[in-house]
Amino acid sequence: MVKLYTDTDKFESHEGPVVVEAFHSALKDLVRSSLDKAGVSWKEFVFSKEYEFITPEAIAAIEQSVVESGYRYQTSAVISFIERPEAYSPIAGADATSDTFSFEHADAVTSELEDGRAQVGQGDNVATYAKNVIGTARYYRSIDDVMTGLREGVPANTVAIIDDSGGTLTAPIIEQFTGIVCAGGTVRSHLGILTREYGIPCVMNSKISGVVNGDTVEVGVSGAAKTTEAYQQGREMAVPVWKHASAS
Amino acid sequence: MAATKLSYADLLQTNNIMRCQGEETLFLGITRTVQESKFFPVSAYVMLGYLNAFYRYPALLRKVEAAMPPEEIADRIRNTNSKLKSMGTNWCMPNFYLLGREMLINMGVIRPQDAAEDVAYVLDFWRRYQLAWRRDDGHLTNLEGGHRSQVLPERQVQVMHADMFDCAEGDELHEAAINFTAAISQYAVLIACESRVCMTNHGPYNLGEDRELLVREFFDLGQGDLPWLDDIADELPFSRLTLATGVKDTHFYIVDDWGSYEAKPEYKAENLVTVGLYTSDDLSETHIPVGMGSREELTQTLNDYAQKLKDVTTKLWERLAGYQREQLMDAGAFTYFAIIRDFAHVAGVYDQEDWFTIDERADRFRVLLNDEYGNEILGALFVPLSLNSHQQNEYQMMRHSGMPKRTYSPIPYTVLQAEDDDYVASVGPDLSPGVTYLPEKVDRYWTTRGTMTADELNQATRDFTPRLAGEDLRYLDDAWVKYNFDTPLAASLYEIDQEQSRVLAGKGAGLRRDDVERLRSE
Repeated sequence: MVKLYTDTDKFESHEGPVVVEAFHSALKDLVRSSLDKAGVSWKEFVFSKEYEFITPEAIAAIEQSVVESGYRYQTSAVISFIERPEAYSPIAGADATSDTFSFEHADAVTSELEDGRAQVGQGDNVATYAKNVIGTARYYRSIDDVMTGLREGVPANTVAIIDDSGGTLTAPIIEQFTGIVCAGGTVRSHLGILTREYGIPCVMNSKISGVVNGDTVEVGVSGAAKTTEAYQQGREMAVPVWKHASAS
Repeated sequence: MAATKLSYADLLQTNNIMRCQGEETLFLGITRTVQESKFFPVSAYVMLGYLNAFYRYPALLRKVEAAMPPEEIADRIRNTNSKLKSMGTNWCMPNFYLLGREMLINMGVIRPQDAAEDVAYVLDFWRRYQLAWRRDDGHLTNLEGGHRSQVLPERQVQVMHADMFDCAEGDELHEAAINFTAAISQYAVLIACESRVCMTNHGPYNLGEDRELLVREFFDLGQGDLPWLDDIADELPFSRLTLATGVKDTHFYIVDDWGSYEAKPEYKAENLVTVGLYTSDDLSETHIPVGMGSREELTQTLNDYAQKLKDVTTKLWERLAGYQREQLMDAGAFTYFAIIRDFAHVAGVYDQEDWFTIDERADRFRVLLNDEYGNEILGALFVPLSLNSHQQNEYQMMRHSGMPKRTYSPIPYTVLQAEDDDYVASVGPDLSPGVTYLPEKVDRYWTTRGTMTADELNQATRDFTPRLAGEDLRYLDDAWVKYNFDTPLAASLYEIDQEQSRVLAGKGAGLRRDDVERLRSE
């Protein structure tokens, strides 16, 4: 089989992510075999003859073979799993009605109960406020969750627990949140930027453990906001998230 | 004989742009993770947009330039709010194209030397346009200016400085401004399918007395090119809005090429002390005040508009929540790919088919663009630079990371040699047929001159030459004003912006910053 130009690479690493390596490796095989079949020079192949061989159907066959091998893609957008449940892994706990689900991040910093509260994690503070925010934790992780909030209203004093650092999922209800703990992104992600505009206390890139719907949580937004330089230097600047002991 | 029309100098410039843009892409990526979303398949649509850019930008930009060179486009929109004066050109245009190219190199579908003339052309078009629109700033990008974006000439800063109304924490105007800013930012992220390409910030400009002007601009708000806004956005009266904000005791020390800012001490709403609102577009001479007749009128305008934005946000969210994945993919990919479509609008050669379909050469890869691959390939292209094409010799230490990597594959200089002409210079002069899963666009465009069809808008832009772009004023910049401020010609130049100013109408070109401060206080 012919060699591709990039098959000779002094610094080739193959350190790319698994699914990227799988697709790219198969695509290169397709290009090699196509060039062989076409029997023309690369110059006659690229942007011309290639379209007879590197077709949507041939590329779809590559993708299908990965799914048929049993691999399941990680889901980001809820719609992806809904439309292709056979190809995607489900999002655990993407349902606000589940009162037992909790994020369990391995990097969460936790502590024993002290003065009525225990640390259950930490996050990067978007903006400094005069006081910490205290409210009732509620997960918002899917379109259905937000639709419920839109239809029924968000309960008063809600600290939203989110893993979507974007600014669209919660767009119609974000104003109703008292605070936000987001398990993704950075303070410069869209959700971080929007909460700063709205004046909603928010921590991003949060790692938390043991917080379920209905818990009373306190977010340490009176602490310092994480800076661009801290991200650039890889320096930790997280503020704590606590869970308060229940009244009962 | 070499097949290429490129010179050694062309390649040197091309590779230099790639290197600089790659390093800045790493910097921007380090300070922001890949933007995942439960709503949109963001990374997947981003990659589809990048691929479409690789296959379509060369032909579309050549079509634009055949009608109007990039320098003239810049001169025609110098006075107005335009997406072409935002991250759309500061970063997106060259990098969308190059990231699509790098993806294809790593797939083995192209080599670094393939489409060499296209690469050089796209980057040269970008460079010419950037130098022209940013000529008052004097830098190619915000990066080159030290992450600063002082792109406005004195005459425009003066009008904003003079006409902004004072506000203070707790008063009605302050509250209205904060409410409006949040509502329009939220809406802008939603119409842009979880991206920030429909808003930007520029500045800071020094207003004196420990105050800085940060100008915040928003695009594509009303009925226009975006099919997902059809009917929904009719109730928004303006498609583009400019919010001038004066902020005290805060230094905006970074305004980057994504239009994001960083401040020391951190920006706090309580430090907002002046505000003004404007609209403009490709058919207006300059910024047109909105609700700026009085403090009360501006307060009411901001409140009314914020409520409309919130209503429309909910309607649009509900529409998008009902979209299929391929529709969300299209909407996002078009948001990215078509970020520079205003080149075609200003040149009067806009065609919705050009900018709002996915070229079948790019679309063939759509099936690979699942959520995981999208996230992983986008991430790999930005920060870890973990793909094969990124690796360099071990002695190299890349800016910002110190790693032996580079973002973009340079074009090998050997293409200039006769014995190495075995490459194809371009993806081709024509677009391939396009695909879209979105409903057909309603042919209705909001402009500052009323509602038009696409054809009417093309004709109107072709027929319109802003006074500023006329032969007598076109080349007058702040450097010229410095030595000629007392001439009738300078007065004519300033008159364009002062004509609708509440405070500066007829005041001419001789005012200094303290004069403006005194006039606004009278």
